[in-house]
Amino acid sequence: MNSIPDLRILLIDDNEIDLLLHEKLILHQRISHTVLPFTNANRALEYLSSNLTLPNIPPTIILLDIQMPEMDGFEFLQSFATYPPRIKSQCYVIMVSSSLDYSDINRSNANPMVMKLLRKPLMIKDLMDTIQEIFREQ
Amino acid sequence: MKNNRIRILYIDDEVHNLNAFKASFRRNYEIYTAGSAQEAKQLIRSINVHIIIADQKMPVTTGVEFFHDIRESIPEPMRILLTGYTDVEDIIDAINKGHIYSYIKKPWDELELQKTINNAFEIYMARQQLKEKIIELEKTNDELNRFIYSTSHDLRSPLMSVLGIINLARLDNSVTDPNGYMDMIETCVQKLDGFIQKIIEYYRNSRLDVEYEKINFSTLLEDCVNAFIPQNTSIEYLIEVDQPIDFKGDTFRIMVILNNLISNAVKYQKPNEERPQVKLSVKIEPHKGTIRIEDNGIGILSEHLQNIFKMFFRSKNNNKPGSGIGLYIVKEALSKIGGTINVDSKYGEGTQFEIIIPNRNEFDT
Repeated sequence: MNSIPDLRILLIDDNEIDLLLHEKLILHQRISHTVLPFTNANRALEYLSSNLTLPNIPPTIILLDIQMPEMDGFEFLQSFATYPPRIKSQCYVIMVSSSLDYSDINRSNANPMVMKLLRKPLMIKDLMDTIQEIFREQ
Repeated sequence: MKNNRIRILYIDDEVHNLNAFKASFRRNYEIYTAGSAQEAKQLIRSINVHIIIADQKMPVTTGVEFFHDIRESIPEPMRILLTGYTDVEDIIDAINKGHIYSYIKKPWDELELQKTINNAFEIYMARQQLKEKIIELEKTNDELNRFIYSTSHDLRSPLMSVLGIINLARLDNSVTDPNGYMDMIETCVQKLDGFIQKIIEYYRNSRLDVEYEKINFSTLLEDCVNAFIPQNTSIEYLIEVDQPIDFKGDTFRIMVILNNLISNAVKYQKPNEERPQVKLSVKIEPHKGTIRIEDNGIGILSEHLQNIFKMFFRSKNNNKPGSGIGLYIVKEALSKIGGTINVDSKYGEGTQFEIIIPNRNEFDT
């Protein structure tokens, strides 16, 4: 896969094993050097708002789990939708879930901010194809 | 004890009637009285009565008018109309507008009135219990939905992590595994996940509304088959679709049926068969669709044939035991959409399923 310069990846998942797995997969395949794991969606939102002071916001892939305590994936999207376009336009959300629930699947397909819903276990090829597709369109 | 008594509101503009009623029934019931419809309306706002008895002939508002007025705001109490006149118009009105339970002639016969009150209360209680049962059922249904959701998430998510770990271990070669234990773990996890998915499928089939939409069987069968090809690449699939007209049916359930039957046809192949085959044919007619799934696999013992659609039944004569739920789901899904299934099998030669599904397309003819 052609690497995308300064691409960074935010991982949001309450399951620490999945977080570690996804981080290792991404680093191993050299998809990005910058992987930022969050076990809590609120923390990720705080981090993203702190980015507003940066002169340049790098292209960002957000791997977002659906079912999480406190703030779930859809609640995260709701809050993130209110963020300034300067930061939103640089972020691409890929949902990652083991859910087979149709309402979850329909809700993520219907959300314009979600580029794709990937099933767990996350297959590295699927992830690379999806990222490739996102940046080909740019 | 007082709470268990029947609460009755009696409305009459004649005070001596109210008093007579109280005198006769106060030992049996908890009695409230009102001299007019207006007064009664005030009363029922604060007191939850089981039965309302109203005199028909009252100044300002008649009994029927009163019942009609409170029909929507207070529908629960049973209504009994009391009148000295047996006017047919009144009776018709009382039934149609006032939704009364019974009609009693004045002067009342004490025994008759008491019997009517007791019967009315029985109906009141039955309705109340029905309401409680409905609420209870709705709650159970809701819990069942949540159960499916948590099954699909809480049970699956650690399994998916295990598969993820196996993938990663293969990718970075960090585990020496000369005996192939990782593959065995993967197989077991996938088997368990397959079973969880079947359970979810079963619940979705029993709970989801049936929805009819147009189905193109060529693409549907192709989609189904493509998902099975990786499981055994030596199988030859023969697909034959004769669909000259539109077919409408429930896509989800038809997919469930096909997937389960094809899965069996793939799973129960003979290990040394040189040309393993799965034949799928569809014939669409104006009122039905006939689908046949044929394989040249191990077949089913004839004494097992009548049991294969039972939940958790497993034919013991093969070394590839399934979960025993697949064909049960097929049967359940078919009964939801009004279809039928027939099976024909020769042990050692193969199995053939024929399903017939009604075509929900409405043709003019």
